[in-house]
Amino acid sequence: MKSLPTRNSQLALHRAGFISVPTMLDYAAEGETGVTFYNAKGEQLSALPWREVRERAHVVARKLIGAGFARGERILITADTWPGFFDSFFGAQYAGLLPVPVSIPVGIGGKDAYLDQLRRQFAASGAVAAVGLDDLAGYLGEAAREFPGLRLHGGMDVLHALPEKPVDLRPLGVDDLCYIQFSSGSTRHPHGVQITQRALMANLAGMTGAAGLDVVVGDRVVSWLPLYHDMGLIGFLMAPLASQLSIDYLTPRDFARRPMQWLNLMSRNRGTISYSPSFGYDLAVRRGATQMPADLDLSTWRHAGIGGDMVRADVLERFAATFEAAGFNRNAFIPSYGMAEVCLAITFSPGGAGVRTDTVDRTALGEQQRATPAADPADPQRARRFVLCGRVLPGHRLEVRDPEGKVLADREVGRIFVAGPSIMPGYFGEPEASREVLSDDGWLDTGDLGYTLAGEIVVTGRAKDLIIVNGRNVWPQDIEWAVEAKRLAKSGDAAAFSIDTGEGERVVVAVLARVSGDEAREALARDVAGAVREAIAVDCDVALVAPTVGLPTTSSGKLSRARTKANYLAGHYASAPSSKPAAA
Amino acid sequence: MIVENDGIADTLELRRESTLARGDVMGEICHHLAPFQVGEKPISGDTVIAKDLTIDSLAIMDMVMELEDRFDVSIPMNVVAEIHTVDQLADTILKLHARR
Repeated sequence: MKSLPTRNSQLALHRAGFISVPTMLDYAAEGETGVTFYNAKGEQLSALPWREVRERAHVVARKLIGAGFARGERILITADTWPGFFDSFFGAQYAGLLPVPVSIPVGIGGKDAYLDQLRRQFAASGAVAAVGLDDLAGYLGEAAREFPGLRLHGGMDVLHALPEKPVDLRPLGVDDLCYIQFSSGSTRHPHGVQITQRALMANLAGMTGAAGLDVVVGDRVVSWLPLYHDMGLIGFLMAPLASQLSIDYLTPRDFARRPMQWLNLMSRNRGTISYSPSFGYDLAVRRGATQMPADLDLSTWRHAGIGGDMVRADVLERFAATFEAAGFNRNAFIPSYGMAEVCLAITFSPGGAGVRTDTVDRTALGEQQRATPAADPADPQRARRFVLCGRVLPGHRLEVRDPEGKVLADREVGRIFVAGPSIMPGYFGEPEASREVLSDDGWLDTGDLGYTLAGEIVVTGRAKDLIIVNGRNVWPQDIEWAVEAKRLAKSGDAAAFSIDTGEGERVVVAVLARVSGDEAREALARDVAGAVREAIAVDCDVALVAPTVGLPTTSSGKLSRARTKANYLAGHYASAPSSKPAAA
Repeated sequence: MIVENDGIADTLELRRESTLARGDVMGEICHHLAPFQVGEKPISGDTVIAKDLTIDSLAIMDMVMELEDRFDVSIPMNVVAEIHTVDQLADTILKLHARR
């Protein structure tokens, strides 16, 4: 099979400036570029020029319209990286339906947790159809039993089996929604971000433009990022489509199994743009150090973006040191910041500048919320290094505010707020949750903490207790509920938080231990870790707390995770006998 | 083409075997899980992989991948999601191997 060309022979490169996803695809379909899917061995599975993506989407759209689905209704799609996702997602765009991309199950023993998640997503989105990988058709059917409103569910064959009727297409337009993004909110109470066509177009213009990745003729994109996440779907499907680029895909599973295939694809296809959370660069270093092919050539990689979790300078430095021999340019790193509530991106550090850091005093940061330059930046006990994530995109605004709403000066740490045309109108069907984060004058409370430095943002952490593990948002409640659901602790007797080990985040669950004896305590700790792993696929350390000590609560009697964490770091709780010593 | 070490030699050898002994599969699984054993309790068919051992989710994924390569099978994600015990994992591999 021939790989798709990097450049269009006739079609001029248009960087965004479209009014909707269907108009974007209409234009890209006039060229020869498109998407190619690869397996874990680096073999090409299939290739779809944008022209073919559009033709197939039109067929699906006529089937959906012919089956009587109404404009604005929702279709849930298991967003694995395979042609079926493109058929159903773009088919929905031309049929006037709203796609709801969702994740696929992770790991062994994850079935029940996945079915629960599907049911919550069905409920929150009010989906009338659900399609996915053939392997997941049974799961969709099982979860659909309680939802009589779901009129169609199964593998792609249920879509293809619908008769294609001679109906007019009903493409989503400039004033419509585009899709619903589930990546915010706890999995127990999922919030679906409403991505509007207009906001998406604004964000794509920022991303592909001069203040973003400054896309040019000759760019080629490689991605293993999941398409159920905003960085995968908007950053590595919508943005390349908006600039008529070719994309080479690896599934997230295959990347996790063989991280070097990501770099092999970049090398072989002369890729120029690829992104990953810090942990992806870390994984590549750990495998790449011993498995680097002699002919690996990363010299064409001009934008190596980082987003999706806290940008970790140490990880990126290791990556650059390992792959410099293969032509990797460390100045290609582009730390960036964003969230699904702004579609995807809100700041990019300047292209060609690489990773720039600011090292501040830990004590001043923790106690006075001030980012004072560290006296001795080399002393890790006293100094903490953060990465500068660049300026806010043109047409958008960013402020750091104190709890009273006052805008703070440079180096004062507060809550990050953003405004501008990329901001969501709200969460789907959740006016109350929307009001909590959106003000009447259009400012979004990101829930993140940070400070400004000469117009650039430095993100220091999260105001909420949100835990991010390997780029995944995990709500502490979900972890605590998993423990409580197995009756290992009563409600309020478990507290989850994460600690910064300097290498990444580590989840810790503090549990009241109502058992005695080393063996029983060991068993409890193991069961807690097992319950968390099974339900949420997260590894954790377990701290056992004597009932006489108890877990701290707020003045209103609610569990205080922040104080639990402080007690833990102060060494007030014993680590479980069998658990690894926790790095503080 | 650049390909990582895929254990191709092992796979070729296995292809010549007509049937696969359950003991071989169990042995291979236990070999992978041994470093994660808790206390003196031996790993058996009833061992619940994610719960009874200290293995983390990334290591589980690595193990499944290596088993797939070793026995030249591909375990569908819906099947993986229903596996809890060592026995279930071994049976799945044997069933898929016989169907090749």
